[in-house]
Amino acid sequence: MNREWTPRIVAFVCNWCTYAAADLAGTSRMQQPDSVRIVRLMCSGRADPQFVLEAIANGADGVIVAGCHPPSDCHYQEGNYRAFRRFMLLRRVLESMGVEKERFRLEWISASEARKWVEVVRSMTEDLKRLGPLRRDEEGIKVE
Amino acid sequence: MSEKPRIGIYICHCGLNIAGTVDVEELARYAASLPDVIVARDYVFMCSEPGQNLIKEDIKEKELNRIVIAACSPSMHEQTFRSVLESAGLNKYLLEMANIREHCSWIHSDRRKATEKAKEIVRMAASKARYLEPIEEKTFPTTRNVMILGGGVAGMRAAIELAEYGFEVYLVERKPILGGKSAVIGYISPGIRGKEIVQKMFERIRGNPRIHVFTQAELIELKGFAGNFTGKLRIHPKHVNERCNECGECEDACPIEISNEYDFSLSRRKAIYKPFPGSYPEGYIIDDRVCVKCGECVRACRRKAIDLDGEEKLIEIKFGALIIAVGYDPYRPSKGEFGYGLSDSVLTLFQLERLLDEDGPTRGEPIVRGKIPETIAFVQCVGSRSTTPSSRPYCSRMCCTSALTNAIRLKEKHPEIEIFFIYRDIMTYGSDEGLYEEAGKRMIKFIKYEGEPPQVQITPEGVFIEVTDYLLQESIRIPVDAVILSTGMIPPRDLGDVIAVTRATCGEEGFLREAHIKLAPVESPTRGIYIAGSVSGPKNIRESIISGSAAAAKAMALISRGEVVAEPMIAKVDEERCSGCGICISACPYNAISIEEKEGDRLARVEDALCMGCGTCASACPSGAMQQLGFKDIQIRAQISALSEVEGK
Repeated sequence: MNREWTPRIVAFVCNWCTYAAADLAGTSRMQQPDSVRIVRLMCSGRADPQFVLEAIANGADGVIVAGCHPPSDCHYQEGNYRAFRRFMLLRRVLESMGVEKERFRLEWISASEARKWVEVVRSMTEDLKRLGPLRRDEEGIKVE
Repeated sequence: MSEKPRIGIYICHCGLNIAGTVDVEELARYAASLPDVIVARDYVFMCSEPGQNLIKEDIKEKELNRIVIAACSPSMHEQTFRSVLESAGLNKYLLEMANIREHCSWIHSDRRKATEKAKEIVRMAASKARYLEPIEEKTFPTTRNVMILGGGVAGMRAAIELAEYGFEVYLVERKPILGGKSAVIGYISPGIRGKEIVQKMFERIRGNPRIHVFTQAELIELKGFAGNFTGKLRIHPKHVNERCNECGECEDACPIEISNEYDFSLSRRKAIYKPFPGSYPEGYIIDDRVCVKCGECVRACRRKAIDLDGEEKLIEIKFGALIIAVGYDPYRPSKGEFGYGLSDSVLTLFQLERLLDEDGPTRGEPIVRGKIPETIAFVQCVGSRSTTPSSRPYCSRMCCTSALTNAIRLKEKHPEIEIFFIYRDIMTYGSDEGLYEEAGKRMIKFIKYEGEPPQVQITPEGVFIEVTDYLLQESIRIPVDAVILSTGMIPPRDLGDVIAVTRATCGEEGFLREAHIKLAPVESPTRGIYIAGSVSGPKNIRESIISGSAAAAKAMALISRGEVVAEPMIAKVDEERCSGCGICISACPYNAISIEEKEGDRLARVEDALCMGCGTCASACPSGAMQQLGFKDIQIRAQISALSEVEGK
């Protein structure tokens, strides 16, 4: 595999915690792989499973959904729990489609956890480099 | 929006913050090639006045109807650029920010890669922008008064602030009197005593016609939204009217006697009683929970002030904001915990406060088991800062200061008493640190332990306390006449009822959760509901009073303008698509959605003022009928689909 290949990750992040953590990583000049494209939502509860599927259909090698820590950090009381429940179901669907579980992550990252954000970006980028690009064939998404 | 998008893209250099890593000129050329883009420019500081004017002129001259700003984080300047759109006559929500600073130029060093990434970020933002729609801000008139739950120092302080500013206040207290715990525990912190503070507050409340006090009252229903709440109060009958002159003859006649909670069970009281001298509202009280309605008090009362037949009343009140200040409960050790409940020699700090109060059961003398003790041991952190199942992990903030203050008072009164202070750490934070030195000067003996907590042994020979002294690394056993357990604060027992009615939420430790501990303290996650005092976590009297003032200020900010602006990016139902299945209702954290009949159809309806704009309902909706303004499916999907290259125009 080409060593220069960089995976593409789409991150659906909530405005209050994880987006702010990514901002803080920026203001702290924490260098990161250039793999992530952030889609800002107001709450991780807005991360519609359809968005995840569409990101994969549009070339994402991996998807992150990230929001505020349970139980009580969520700006909207319990949107993060909704995100969690959807994630568990969706991951099973994706696995049955042949998408390895490393390609879909749910993370709780508070506004102060810039370091954690960078760590998630790094480790997921490494995981995906190891797995290689997500292959899509005519019968759907399959790796092997 | 049927109008064809005419997008302007503005790329900020941010000095060299962006331009140093991203090739902004190349980015501008690329942006200009994207579909529906009329103009793309780069400029050294887009947020500067010339930068803003550039955008305004373009909007007018080139008839732009969507704007993309590729610059810093929206948390930095989204508001700035929204104002730019507004002043150019464009709806301010036709703006999309592309964050190429925090999320690109500042975190990458490879110029080529950073430029390519910036292009993608801009492409995604422009793609979303094509589907942006104007959003109208709605305003709602507010009711200009406030309800406060809890008549302790925090609630009273908030009431006084609001009333003196001219707002009507409904101060609702579950107990028969105001003052909370501060009224009976004088020295929770040094300086002016709690009971003097509450007396001063009573005077200001008594003299203020704008403060409407409801005691023996509870909020049993809350409807509406920020600025427009309706609450239902259940008010228990008082049975004693204002003719009562506190002569006390009823009390003598009353045959029922129970443990007195105002003295933390150190004394007994009758079913008809006055909690303590100076309690407010004035007059005797009948405790309905124990009164057998024998009528002895009615016969004894010469002023005919007692009526045993009163019934509870329900009243409805409209208000604009709610402050929850229902306080805390003292932690009560379980039986046998450090000897508690096994011997009258083992008392809590709250009980010691009562003993040292001149209006208390021993008239201010520290009498334990009939005499003034020769040796007293204080045990700190009882039920606090521990992970055992019966304990709580947090520090209650006030116990070290209160215990030391009381230890010093004991020494002032009776220098001959030998006092041992058994602790793990002493947290007399801030200016209270002086107490620690003062205690040392008065020969209070400090014994530090780590790990194994001290053992209180109740034996026929007397009470002993055994502890391993951390400095000596030796176990010592001290005979004592009294043990004072420094117990902390726990969430109040009836908080569950308050939560059920107000939908406030509590954190891990069971105290009410603030919207954000630093960014929005004293605010609850629900707009229009504020939190003051120890109900959001342990506070001393001073801190509780400060939070009372703060909550009052937040409530004023909401109601004083006479109208509230609703959250703009709320959920909206496409009635053509809605099947009325109700899944959105269970997804909504705010009870903002209901199903209603409309021309024979069942349709979801969003209460605009209750919706906070999380968008969770939109993700749950199986038919795509529920949409979040500013984050519609079509908008987000356009943003995602721009991941793969789009064709040029």
